[in-house]
Amino acid sequence: MSKLNNCQEQPKIGVYVCHCGGNISDHVDVAKVVEQAGGLDNVTVARDNSFMCSDPGQELIIEDIKSGKVNRIVVASCAPALHESTFRGAIARAGMNPYLYEHANIREQVSWVHHGPGATDKATALVAAAVGKAGELEALEPIRVEAEAHATVLGGGVAGMSAARDLAAQGLKVALVEKSPFLGGQVAQLDKTFPSNEAAGELLSALAAQVLADQRITVYTCAELSEYSGYVGSFKLKIRRTPPSGEDLERLALAKDAAPGEFVPFVGVAAWPVPYEAEEVALVSGAIVLATGFEHYTPPMGEYGYGQMPEVITLPELIRLMADESATGEQLVVNGKPVGSLALIHCVGSRQIPGVHQPGPDGKLNQHCSRVCCTATLQAACELREKFPETNVFELYRDIRTYGRGHEEYYLNAGRSGVIFARFEPEAPPVVTQGGEDSALTVTVLDKLLAGEELAIGVDLVVLAVGMEPRDNQSLVEKMKLPVGADRFLLEVHPKLRPVELPAAGIYLAGACQAPMDTSEAANAAGAAAAKAGAILSAGFVELDPFVAEVDESKCVGSGACVQACLADEAIEMIDTQVGKRARVNPALCMGCGVCVAACEQGAIELSGWTLGQYEAMVDAIVAQALPQGA
Amino acid sequence: MDACASKYPILILATEDCSYPGANSVGQAHQNYPDNTYIIRTPTPALFPEKFYLDCFAKGIGGIIIMSCGVECPYEGAYPALAKRVDRIYALMKQKGLDIRRLRLTAICTVCNRAFIKEVNLMNQVVAELGAPGSEARAA
Repeated sequence: MSKLNNCQEQPKIGVYVCHCGGNISDHVDVAKVVEQAGGLDNVTVARDNSFMCSDPGQELIIEDIKSGKVNRIVVASCAPALHESTFRGAIARAGMNPYLYEHANIREQVSWVHHGPGATDKATALVAAAVGKAGELEALEPIRVEAEAHATVLGGGVAGMSAARDLAAQGLKVALVEKSPFLGGQVAQLDKTFPSNEAAGELLSALAAQVLADQRITVYTCAELSEYSGYVGSFKLKIRRTPPSGEDLERLALAKDAAPGEFVPFVGVAAWPVPYEAEEVALVSGAIVLATGFEHYTPPMGEYGYGQMPEVITLPELIRLMADESATGEQLVVNGKPVGSLALIHCVGSRQIPGVHQPGPDGKLNQHCSRVCCTATLQAACELREKFPETNVFELYRDIRTYGRGHEEYYLNAGRSGVIFARFEPEAPPVVTQGGEDSALTVTVLDKLLAGEELAIGVDLVVLAVGMEPRDNQSLVEKMKLPVGADRFLLEVHPKLRPVELPAAGIYLAGACQAPMDTSEAANAAGAAAAKAGAILSAGFVELDPFVAEVDESKCVGSGACVQACLADEAIEMIDTQVGKRARVNPALCMGCGVCVAACEQGAIELSGWTLGQYEAMVDAIVAQALPQGA
Repeated sequence: MDACASKYPILILATEDCSYPGANSVGQAHQNYPDNTYIIRTPTPALFPEKFYLDCFAKGIGGIIIMSCGVECPYEGAYPALAKRVDRIYALMKQKGLDIRRLRLTAICTVCNRAFIKEVNLMNQVVAELGAPGSEARAA
């Protein structure tokens, strides 16, 4: 990209203040802000417009740039997340470097929260601060790196397979890396999926068939990431394949007669061959999609009698029992015993409360809602009532959260089919005891729906609707320096603005490694991740935001403090120069956090676009505008 | 107490990914807070050295609220680095006779409206009580 490097000239700053209809001008005296801005150093043009984001508003900027009146731009309007890119685009269209731009947020942070003269004064100060920064701006160029037309997807569940398929459909080569010998992940442990009641096996078979048939996708089963380095466009990875062991051997025994691509219920899709000896594969990938999935919460010994009473099982175990073709008749039969009544207990291992629930072995509580278990439990209840009409079903819940399209139908149908609901407080959970009048167990619960009346329900089976927990990804987290949220799931940059991206460019999230989600949502996230990865790889090169660290070698004394402070491996390295060791930044690896800036006592390293000098200019402007007279 | 004390500017260092959108969320909800607050967007406040804070106080900034992402920080390791730096700044503030309540490290998420307003009001009270930055040293 070739843009006028206008920063070589004396700053000529154009200030454009938006009325935003009346959103801003109803509370901010825009004319006064413009007048004050016009008197600031380096400001050559100060204008206002009803809607700066409109075409006529943008044209004002473009004309002033083209006529040479301005070489830096400040727009005072709504939040930068909404229109910063709009105005950068207008500046670029006028032939100027789009990074010679600063945004003042005078709607969300002024007119919508302050009124009267104070609002105008604050808007004036924020414009002055933006002008102060604009005077210090330098032209920046996006960082361009070559991109390998290859993506690696870690995880072979629905999200991973969907992402791999969608990436391949964009013409990219894909490595699909799965830890186990099978594809399908946790969906393989289901019988039917909601809300369509489609058989999980059919869904997985169809998806796996597309993946296995695509010549552009290479599937590595029994495989894990063993080495990681590089950056977007050129991640250098090693994938280690090891012969199956432990539980995988048991699952392989169940699938020993399966043909490649065949679905084995509650095991997965066979993706032969499995390795007979350890091997390592080296890959160069332009992007990485993490689709490592989740694990079910395992209740500790004694929680609701789990592990102590054989009649207490989890929902995944019930699903498996119900799927057994021999399980037919008027009543569900478990271990040879008919089940006259059963109780499904919600929120087991989800929405845990400090002081009420016991932390797990890692000392953590699952304070999140697992989101999918309410519908999954209701789906199981409906199926029980339909398949085994002589088995009574009780649902003991804290709240019912059937949030998705078609999910509420399960709640309605459960009620219509005779499922009996009782609502409990988390502080007074149901108590499961052995024995009952005509039952194996008794569940005692204080029912909020009956004003706290104590119910003693005789049941033959208790089913715990266990929640979703993050998979143990510690090795991956450490290797790739992945951000992890307080809930221990992998953490996106922003839940709304960049929902499948990580701060390190070129790494994306797909599915339940990020948060509890159902199969549809996991597939959606996978599609988003594949689209993002495909968009950056399809051009053959990647353009990154230029907001990365930059070393001023004339100030650098080679202390290495920045290397020590750097959060990204190899983003800064010490190189030998004629005057000794000096720091150098690899822009493709730099995350743009700026931690190195604070570490350098010489002030030899700065974050482009966010320099300390720019911040100091902003503070000076704020103080000049806002400090009380005579203070 | 200085009658203008509550008008000493409060600087809010807000992270691009958490607290800056959080401040916008407060705006979207049209919730009022004191207008002597100036929010500056930053990738992470961990980029500011100790001197930046001390210079701000020397220039007349009455209080600084660091609104970080806390443990939700997308830059793994940045928050612990920031927390250590804040400890060092507190030590330097004490040396200079500055009340350490003028600097506060918080974690504000994209929808933490109540927490945002609480922190701003708290700092405003502190600045109103203390007056001009450095005046506490002169009074001691």
